[in-house]
Formats: sequence, structure tokens, C-alpha cells
Amino acid sequence: MKISRRQLIKVSAKAGMAAFTASALSPLMGVVNVVEAKSSRKSKISPFNFVVIGDTHLYEMPDHRFDKTFSRAINDILNMNPKPDFVLFIGDLAQFGKVAELEKGKRFLDKLDKAGIKYFIIPGEHDWYLDMGETWRKMFGKPYWSFNHRGVHFIGMNSILVRDYWTARNMSPEERMLAIAELECHICGLWGVREEQLEWLERDVKNLSPDTPVVVFTHSPLWNYYPRWNFQTEDAPQIREILSKFEKVIAIHGHVHQVVYNKTGNMVHIGNLATAWPWPYPPVELPYPKIRMLRVDPGDIYDGVGFASTYIDDTFLGKMRYHTWAELIPDDLKDGVPL
Amino acid sequence: MRVLKAGFILGAGVLAGLSISLFMNVAEARKPFSQQDLKLMNEELLALVKKGDQLWHDPKLGKNGLTCANCHPDGANSNPHTFPKFQDNVGKVATLREMINWCIKKPLEGKELPEDSEEMKALEAYAIYMYRGYPLKPGDNTREYPPVKVESGAGYP
Repeated sequence: MKISRRQLIKVSAKAGMAAFTASALSPLMGVVNVVEAKSSRKSKISPFNFVVIGDTHLYEMPDHRFDKTFSRAINDILNMNPKPDFVLFIGDLAQFGKVAELEKGKRFLDKLDKAGIKYFIIPGEHDWYLDMGETWRKMFGKPYWSFNHRGVHFIGMNSILVRDYWTARNMSPEERMLAIAELECHICGLWGVREEQLEWLERDVKNLSPDTPVVVFTHSPLWNYYPRWNFQTEDAPQIREILSKFEKVIAIHGHVHQVVYNKTGNMVHIGNLATAWPWPYPPVELPYPKIRMLRVDPGDIYDGVGFASTYIDDTFLGKMRYHTWAELIPDDLKDGVPL
Repeated sequence: MRVLKAGFILGAGVLAGLSISLFMNVAEARKPFSQQDLKLMNEELLALVKKGDQLWHDPKLGKNGLTCANCHPDGANSNPHTFPKFQDNVGKVATLREMINWCIKKPLEGKELPEDSEEMKALEAYAIYMYRGYPLKPGDNTREYPPVKVESGAGYP
């Protein structure tokens, strides 16, 4: 195994002693002879936690079962100690993109705001196709963005843009929404981030050095998992190409409502659970079959669902811990999935 | 030997195929179905599958807006080929239809369907069709099965 700089033990100038800034995540247990310890941007990361939550799929009806699970998740986040630095909402706040559903979702998210926990948000297809994102943009602003936090560059993108399947079929906005609200939509085709965002992404990372730690959020995975259910992003190859200049990129996605993990080149990919309902694994071989969730009890609304807390250490090793309310995560992943 | 159930009437096309040939000196009582017969029979089946597909995506089965497809896209993880089996949540050996009703009642918070209703038969037909080609494994409670792999479209002709 090639030892990368991030796995080296840093030398502290203090009293000439080697200070072990031991990373709990480092798979490296042996002693390393430190030849040099160049200061890099990575050493500027001060470790922190953030939360990933999404796929809440809120319906209009009062006291709906999905309100209960989302509410429980929000309460758990509010009770986290230490507080997460921020919360990232990874899409599908609403079920049918209705104003009432999105407003209901915003009321939940505003509880975080009130408690001093900032949230960032990207859209999912369920938020978008009733009015082509009009309400969503009014409420939450731009659907793609980037920011820097404690030495890490965060990127969020809108990955659910499909080609027009409705005009030629004379579909109403409601019909358009109902079609894409089916995971196995028969007519919607593949989605992606499209030209405008690809150009933006290129500009966004142009001046960043290759050792910049980058975390990217999209609703759908940036690898070809199961296109039939849009467990994919059509222009993921271009996205991966643009981000290939970095030593390491952590890519976090929603949409799959399940535990799933993959690696492509310099990227690690991890899927988030929904708070609404779990989805079964599609009929494809998983690249990392050991990183998957256990069987779900369909009679328990709190099983098969949850959110995730992600820890980033000072060497840009990440760890995503699934926060669940039932026996869903295998024992060896309970402590988190190394990223 | 194939036996057609009484009451399964497709019209003259099928009836013609039932006439016994006096010229065939074989033990077969009936001619094989003609291509036309088979086509008609398959169309009948696919019509029921399609009806099942529509119901699978119809919130009217429940009261909370959910559909079968919320948790079972393409029928995934409905595992029709593993019934009958002991169902934890039903507390006994259950048939596929009993399990479908359990889902309608619990997650969908709806009213159970009569087990011999057209709707129930359609839902069953859809689930089983999406697992066509799978070996029967009655009693298998060990794993989650994916449906047949679908590239695009409905998953049936």
C-alpha cells in the first residue's frame, strides 16, 4: 500500500517530540519513519462534524407518518452534542413538489436555523417537476453552490435535470410530476446536472490546488449504479473528470434510500438513508457488498430509515455514521463507514 | 397435459383448438395451442399484469398517499416466488395475497381487498410477472431478492 502524506504522523516542533495526532480512522497501525512533514492545506483542516439528511418525501396530510420520522430526526439533530457545524439536506423534501409540502419541510428545517444550526440544501426530482423548481428556488435560492468550511471545499449540485418528456405528450404539470415521482418512471429518461452546472463546476474548482479537500453533494450517485431507477447521474463522467485533479474527493448522495458505498478513481461515494422509507437493492452486483443495510421490518415506520453524521478529521479522512432507530446497520459498520 | 379451466373463454380462436383431430393416431386428446391461441392468452395475461402495475402505483389502495411502489419499485423485494412462508409480521405461514393485504393495511393504512377480487389477482399477477424466471423457493425467508433486471419501460412487453 502506498503511504500517502495524509497518513504520515505529523512532527510537532514542540520540544522536538513527535506528537501523534492519531487519527482514529487511519488504517495504518504500524510506525512510520517520518522523513518530512510538509505543511499542506490539509493540515489546516480543523476536525468537525456535519449532518446529512434528506429524502423526507413529505405529503400534505397532517400528522403523516413521514412527518413523524422527519420530526424524530430533527429532534435527534437538535440534541446532538457537540452540535454539528451544519446540516446538509440532500433532496426530496416534498413528495409531489407542492407548495404546502415544501412549506411543511421548511418549517422543519427552520427549527435547525432557530437552534443556530445552519442548513444547506439541494433539490431532488420530487421537489422540482410540478413547477420546474419555481417554488423551491423561491424558498431556498440557487440549486447549486459551493462554500469553504474549516479548510474543506464543499460543493452542492442539482443532478436531477431530465430532457423534456412532457411537452410532446401534452402533459399537465401534475401529470409531469406524477410520472417522475415513480422511481421506475417509464418515460422520464436519465437525469444529470447539464451544461450550465458543468461549466460552473469547472470555474469553481479552477484555482483550487490539487491537495484541497473536496466534498461534493448530489441527489443521485455520481456513478452508474442502476440507471433504470436513476441511481445514476448522466454527466457524472464529466463531473469526475473535472474533479480528477484533486487528491481525494468525498461524494455524498441521497435518492437511493439505502446504505451503499463505492470508489471511483480519486473519489469515495456513499449513499444516505431516507427518513421516509427504504428502497430495496436493485438487481446489480454491488461493488462493496459488505457495506449494505440489514433486512427491514416493514411494520416499523422507524426501521430502514435515518440520517447520517459525518466526521472529517485533520487529514481529510472522513467517517459517515448512519443514525438509525432500529437494527439496520451491521455491527462492523455501527461505528461508521470510513471515507 | 394442459387443461383449460371452464369459463376461460377467449372466443372462437381457442374453441377451434379444442376440437380433437380424428386423423392423429396419438394419445393426445387435444392439439397443441395454435400461435394465435397463445398470442390471445398472453394478451389476456399482460392486460392483467398492466392492471396490476396501475394498482401497484395507485394511492387509492391506502389512506395515506402511499402506494406499493413506494417501497417496491418494479415489484422489488416483494419476493412472490418465496410464498407461502412464515411471515413474522403476520405471525403465521402466509400466502402472497395475505402479505399484499398486510401491506395495504399497515404501511398504506388502507382497507384489505377480498382475496379473490380482480384487484388482488392483478396485484399478484404483476408481482409474479416481475419475477418471471426465478426458481420457486417457498419458505425462503433469508434474503431480499431484486426483481428481474429492467433496462427501461414497464418491465413487461
